Amino acid sequence: MNMATGVTPPPGASSAADGHTIESLLVPLLGSAYRAALRLTRDAADAEDLVQEAAVHACRGFGTFEPGTNFRGWFFRILTNCFYSRYRKSRREGTQVELEDAPELYLYSQTAAIGLHAETEPAAALMDRLDAEAVAQAIDALPDEYRVVAVLYFLQDFPYLEIARILDVPIGTVRSRLHRGRRLLQQRLWTIAEDRGIVEALRRKEAKNG
Amino acid sequence: MADVSRLTCEEVFRRLDDYLDRELSAEEMRLVQEHLDVCAVCTAEYRFERKVLDDVKEKLRRLTAPSGLLAKVQRAIGTVR
Repeated sequence: MNMATGVTPPPGASSAADGHTIESLLVPLLGSAYRAALRLTRDAADAEDLVQEAAVHACRGFGTFEPGTNFRGWFFRILTNCFYSRYRKSRREGTQVELEDAPELYLYSQTAAIGLHAETEPAAALMDRLDAEAVAQAIDALPDEYRVVAVLYFLQDFPYLEIARILDVPIGTVRSRLHRGRRLLQQRLWTIAEDRGIVEALRRKEAKNG
Repeated sequence: MADVSRLTCEEVFRRLDDYLDRELSAEEMRLVQEHLDVCAVCTAEYRFERKVLDDVKEKLRRLTAPSGLLAKVQRAIGTVR
C-alpha cells in the first residue's frame, strides 16, 4: 500500500489517465506545491524534498486517480500526507489555544488604538509596510494544525470542504482552525510590526498629523 | 413590525470570516451584504479584514520555486517507472 495516498496502485500506475500524464497535471502545480511545502516545513531544502516525495507517491498512485476529478485536491492530499508522515505528526492532534490569547479583530483594534482609523485605509497603512517575508514569518509561527489549514486556504484557496477532504477531518474542524489561526496570525503580524519599528513609526506619523 | 430577516451587528460579526471566505449559503451572503450596505461600523470592519486577508494571500504567493525543482521532480518520478 502507498502510505501517502492510502491506496494500493494497480499495475501501470504512472501511465496516462483520461489522456493526461502525471507530468502534464503535476508540472503546473509545482510552484504552488513548493510554496505550500516551504510554509509547512519552514525550510527550503526540506520543501524541495517534500515536493519530490509527494510527486513520487503521486506517480506510484496515479492509477487510482479518477480522471475528471480534482487532481489539485488529490495531489495536495498526498503532499500533506507526506508532510504528516515525514514529521510523524497526527492530523488530529491539537494545540490548546485559549480564545483569550487570540482576540477577535486584533489588528483592527490595535490600529484603532494608535489612531490609524483616521486614515481612509487603515489596513493598508499597516499591511503596506509588512513585506512578504514578514507575512511568511507570521504563518510559520502558527502551531502546526493551524498552519496546515492556513497553507491550504491562504496559498491554495481551497474551500473548507476540500480542505476537510484533504486532511480527512470534519469541516467544523477546518472552520474553527482557520478562524482561530487567522486571529493568531493577526497577533503575530502585529508583534512583527512592533519588532520592526513599524508600529512606532505609524504612531509618530499619526501624532504628527493629528 | 421589525423585519426578522435582517441581521444584527452581532450576527454579522459572527459570520464575518465565513462571509469573507464565501462559505455562507447564498441567502446568508445576501443577508450579510444587506447589513453591510447600511451599517458603516460593520462595513469598516469588513473592509479592514478583507484588505488584511487579500494582502496576506498575495504576499504568500510571491515566492517562486527554485529553478532546478522541475528537473529534480522529473528525475524523481523517472525512478519509479
